Amino acid sequence: MAKTILAVDDSASIRQMVAFTLKGAGYEVIQAVDGEDALEKANQHTVNLVLTDINMPRMDGLKLLALLRKLSNYKTVPILMLTTESSDDIKAKGRAAGATGWLVKPFDPKRLLEVIAKVIG
Amino acid sequence: MTEMQSNSDNIDNQLTDEMNALCNVEADEYFMNIKSELGQIDRLISDAVNNLVINFRYISKLTKTHHEMVLVIEKMASPEASKPILELLDKQMNIADKIEQELEMAITSLQFGDLVTQLLAHTTHQVEMLNMELQRVDREDNWRNGKTALHTIHEGITKAVNIAKTKNNKKPVVQQGMQMGDIELF
Repeated sequence: MAKTILAVDDSASIRQMVAFTLKGAGYEVIQAVDGEDALEKANQHTVNLVLTDINMPRMDGLKLLALLRKLSNYKTVPILMLTTESSDDIKAKGRAAGATGWLVKPFDPKRLLEVIAKVIG
Repeated sequence: MTEMQSNSDNIDNQLTDEMNALCNVEADEYFMNIKSELGQIDRLISDAVNNLVINFRYISKLTKTHHEMVLVIEKMASPEASKPILELLDKQMNIADKIEQELEMAITSLQFGDLVTQLLAHTTHQVEMLNMELQRVDREDNWRNGKTALHTIHEGITKAVNIAKTKNNKKPVVQQGMQMGDIELF
């Protein structure tokens, strides 16, 4: 059975590029436009990995990360941050909040798939 | 782009209080024009990116179909098929593979829209902050009934620029090109 990835980004083009890459590799992809939307979809589906942006309206990626980690079924689910942000202090915040990894945009499809395969097998 | 709109909404809210005390209308109009032009750039880029993504998806579908068709033809070709036909099919397959590889590489470049939109939102915010601070300097200056010396005005503007800088959020995009970003697993 295909593994399911929740892709969260307010940019439609990024969501489409992520979905295109992941679906091509056989993953099921659920898309969310911001943290609030993602939280709702995370509660509705069984998700194997979350790939989220940080700078989003309504609820940003760090807040989403913190809220997901409070849910019992998301304590161990890998959460990767995919963002333009690359400063050490924001990475440290993400790490402290329970992020599994940090990917700086723009992403390379092959490397993204390698990282995801490494994280969820 | 929702992010830019959201930032813009926040700025608009911040400005509501300031507007009542608006002093230098010319400066305000100038900054509003810059903001409007930045918005126009953002819309043009978003439209272009949306079109590019549609083109990308269509080309990708065509490539896959082409790839599958070559495979079918290859299977249909009898073992006795002439060597030139088999060589042509092999070449077709190589071309299909190369197009798919190029499309994969295009995924990285097609992310430019998101980076540019975030940079525009950041620049818009900077412009707004500077406008607010310059309005404040202008207001204080007027209160002194035009008795302010030139060097005091200069100091006031420098101070306004510095305050605008400190009030501004950190730049969200530091990338200088479309090369792949770093990856770090914790």
